[in-house]
Amino acid sequence: MEAPPDPGPHASASASASAAAPLRAPEVARLREEQEKVVTSCQEKIQHWKKVDNDYNALQERLSTLPDKLSYNIMVPFGPFAFMPGKLVHTNEVTVLLGDNWFAKCSAKQAVGLVEHRKEHVRKTIDDLKKVMNNFESRVEFTEDLQKMSDAAGDIVDIREEIKSDFEFKAKHRIAHKPHSKPKTSDIFEADFANDVQSKGLLADEGLWARLEELERQEELLGELDSKPDAVIANGEDTTSSEEEKEEQNIHGHVGNERADSGTPSGRPRDAPELLRAPVTSQHKCSVNGSDACHSDEDDGDGDDENENVRDALGLGETSVPTIYFSHTVEPKRVRINTGKNTTLKFSEKKEEAKRKRKNSSGGGHCSQELPTIRTPADIYRVFVDLVNGEYVPRKSILKSRSREDSVCSDTSESSAADLDDRRGLWRSISCEEATHSDTSESILEEEQQENHQKKLSPVTGTPEAFSGTVIEKEFLSSSAPHPAGAHPVLPTIPERREVLSEVSGESTKRVSKFKAARLQQKS
Amino acid sequence: MEIPFREARPENGAGLVPADNSAPHKEELSFKIKEQKIVVDELSNLKKHRKVYRQQQNSNIFFLADRTEMLSESKNILDELKKEYQEIENSEKNKTKK
Repeated sequence: MEAPPDPGPHASASASASAAAPLRAPEVARLREEQEKVVTSCQEKIQHWKKVDNDYNALQERLSTLPDKLSYNIMVPFGPFAFMPGKLVHTNEVTVLLGDNWFAKCSAKQAVGLVEHRKEHVRKTIDDLKKVMNNFESRVEFTEDLQKMSDAAGDIVDIREEIKSDFEFKAKHRIAHKPHSKPKTSDIFEADFANDVQSKGLLADEGLWARLEELERQEELLGELDSKPDAVIANGEDTTSSEEEKEEQNIHGHVGNERADSGTPSGRPRDAPELLRAPVTSQHKCSVNGSDACHSDEDDGDGDDENENVRDALGLGETSVPTIYFSHTVEPKRVRINTGKNTTLKFSEKKEEAKRKRKNSSGGGHCSQELPTIRTPADIYRVFVDLVNGEYVPRKSILKSRSREDSVCSDTSESSAADLDDRRGLWRSISCEEATHSDTSESILEEEQQENHQKKLSPVTGTPEAFSGTVIEKEFLSSSAPHPAGAHPVLPTIPERREVLSEVSGESTKRVSKFKAARLQQKS
Repeated sequence: MEIPFREARPENGAGLVPADNSAPHKEELSFKIKEQKIVVDELSNLKKHRKVYRQQQNSNIFFLADRTEMLSESKNILDELKKEYQEIENSEKNKTKK
């Protein structure tokens, strides 16, 4: 993680320098030139309109005096160059051009009114033009000042921007170059992390490292305690995610496409596993974890939630968790970004993780993720995980977690419509029994127990909100799910329970911790 | 049908000019003054039986006008123009002095 960010700054420095240049004289001079053009054109227009106004004034005067006499001796024009003497007789009859060669016959007085109306319009346009002209005159003055300032030396602002842009650009560039295939969002997140880390490192490298070491120690201590669960989680995510991803991509081309379409969610999970692996393997992980933890702390609401979730997942103290923090923080952030609902998604992720653990423990091997292959509850979990959780767990889980949990349809919906029906039929037939018996029994029972504990611990605060939101959604899902699939009453109900439990647990951190603790106990 | 008319176009222009003539531009003003001087000169040299027509602004119709009236009118316009011109000159002088 740290290595990539370093190269970025150098490249960014040059970019920033180039970026600063644009404010130089030629551009400013051209801007001023254009603005002056606008001013001159406005002046010309104003002059034209003033002439029109003048003509209307003369016409009005003539019309007002025209009826004063019965007849006028005039020279009647025959073409542009010939005249013949004549008499103007009907002095009070005027035809007014309305436009498009339509004329209205009216008296001289009425014509005067029409002229007055048109003069109003002319005056209005003149006023508007004057406003525009004044506006651009002021702009010209401003650009002149700007030119003077830039000529003198106003680079201070530019320097500041350079620093910022450098970090951002570095992160972005690094991300973009590294994984082309991976989605942008994940890159951005990484970039943010890198930026934060860099900035922090710049500010106080020593302090950061010291903290990292402490965190590492804590991890070791905690790791010993939770070593099995943590390792399982990390490994499970890595293996499951990677393998599942590969399998899904290879086998389910459409699924992969969908993920690609979704883009951000799919890419992030992949990145996340990498991050997890790296930290686990070497001390770098510690640094990464520490940095993440710091970030999370710094992060306003998200960081806290993430930390809580991580803590809950580990079931450990705050400080010891950091390694986990990292992975969790990344995923929840993604989830949040995508959906905007933090808690529900996180919990869904936790459940998914729990499912993965169960798979690893119980199922062990990765059965084909396709529907027919599901033979055990673990497989069902995998399927769910694959679609939602597997790689892109958090994000998709947020959107799909409810739908998926509600019915298999959600997963299928992601892939292809045709597959959906088949899968649904298979899934429901298979999953109804297994899911209801095994999965529901294990997960739900556990969750319920956890919930009960959590309720006891934290009775009032979190529960009501979570229940309300979850219940409604589940109802929708349950109602909606049966229609497409062919209505299995049992399945929808089950997923509802799960979601409710998960959401409830997610709301209160204590619940989660207990939940994970229960998992750990079971696994161990 | 005596020799009919004398085109009053310049005069028309002059007549109109004073109204809009807020012209700050000295050159414009001097040009108009020259025009007006010619108009006055021509009108004053007309024989008495000549007819004078005045063109309606922005159109091609010529209204018969009284020669003496037009002469006096054009003289007045010339005076106004000269006044304006002098004012501008004075203001410019003051500015330069300051």
